Amino acid sequence: MKTKKMLFVTQFEELWFDALQSLMDLRKSGFNHVVFLHVIERDKVAMRRGKGYLKDQEVKLREMANVRFIDWAEDLFVQGMEVGAYIVVGDILPKIISTAEEEGVDLIVTGRHRRPKLEELYAGSETLELLRRTSTPVLVHKYMLPSGKINEKPFERPLLALDWSPASENAVRYLLGFKDIIKKVVVIHVAGEKTFKSDSAMEIQAIRKKNRQKLEEVCDAFRDVGIEAESHLYVGATCEQLEKAAQEREATMIVGGTTGKKSLKEIFLGNTAKKLAERSVFPTLLIPANTRHEDS
Amino acid sequence: MAKKILAVDDDPDIIIFVKTVLEENGYIPLIARNGETGMAMVREEKPALVILDILMPKQSGIRMYREMRFDESLKNIPVVILSGIAKRTFLRSQEALTEFGDQSVPEPEAYIEKPVEPEELAEVIKKLVD
Repeated sequence: MKTKKMLFVTQFEELWFDALQSLMDLRKSGFNHVVFLHVIERDKVAMRRGKGYLKDQEVKLREMANVRFIDWAEDLFVQGMEVGAYIVVGDILPKIISTAEEEGVDLIVTGRHRRPKLEELYAGSETLELLRRTSTPVLVHKYMLPSGKINEKPFERPLLALDWSPASENAVRYLLGFKDIIKKVVVIHVAGEKTFKSDSAMEIQAIRKKNRQKLEEVCDAFRDVGIEAESHLYVGATCEQLEKAAQEREATMIVGGTTGKKSLKEIFLGNTAKKLAERSVFPTLLIPANTRHEDS
Repeated sequence: MAKKILAVDDDPDIIIFVKTVLEENGYIPLIARNGETGMAMVREEKPALVILDILMPKQSGIRMYREMRFDESLKNIPVVILSGIAKRTFLRSQEALTEFGDQSVPEPEAYIEKPVEPEELAEVIKKLVD
């Protein structure tokens, strides 16, 4: 699947125009259409006692978003890109899903949207909910590096996390489509401490060898299409180790597959995807297992 | 017989405004909310004029304008661009698309940056249609 059309979701809090500009490298692989989405959250304009629906507030928020989108769109139009925009009132998650479907986008780019703690307890994570309800890859973009600089080319050196599930195989196929912009891919598997439950050194070494072989097979697939690749096997808590590896290997983003289902068995689902998406300093690209590919 | 004029815009307030101007001046308004639907309606209805916004869902006015100008049966329908996007941007974007290998397209018959007074819009339409 080529990433030609992107849904860029902004609440004008985390993601601004420079976040979009940091993704312009994707043009080398066919990206040429941006759809902006700003959702005016319902409670900002909702009925108030004695005031009714805050229409004036809606108009104000709508026009503020419109001014920004026009400015951004002008920059993109003169580069020959196609641009569309939606400014809507409602709840952010359903609006992202419906707009992505209506426009048929290939990638959803969003910032970190976190529900309040109590709401999350009942409704779950917004990021996970989005992944459950879409087959479109989601990039939770953090474009400012801890150093304060902009992460200018997030696709240049991705760290690909593999748990050997069909979902992570899908992530491999997806990344292979970015051969024009990826310079090097860092392929990693994090083995949990439970993997080493045997007290036999031979057995542990065998596990290590098997995982290394699998990692090298994936690296070969990247090398075959001209992408440099290196593999690493880490041990420990998945999320912490992925973050550590991304820093040590100077990765520009973390990539993983997700099943889109509630399954505790899936490493990249549940806490890991949620933690990485919401807490990691790296952009996090999450690829649902049912994402379509160029070769499918 | 009253002439049909197609307005393509996703802003409901602009749609109401344009519709009112058209009705008050004796035209039949046709409405489309994005470039994709707009293009389908131009083909079907062959309006006397198109009032076109630029930044819209599905398909922008920039692409719709090009598509109209490349279509033998539609290329002579006058187009009034009514948009918040500057004319300079519109022209430069058309140049950029031409540089990517497309044919060049002529400038639109009129370009109005929003907002517009009803009298100004009515005058531009009359000049092009009557």
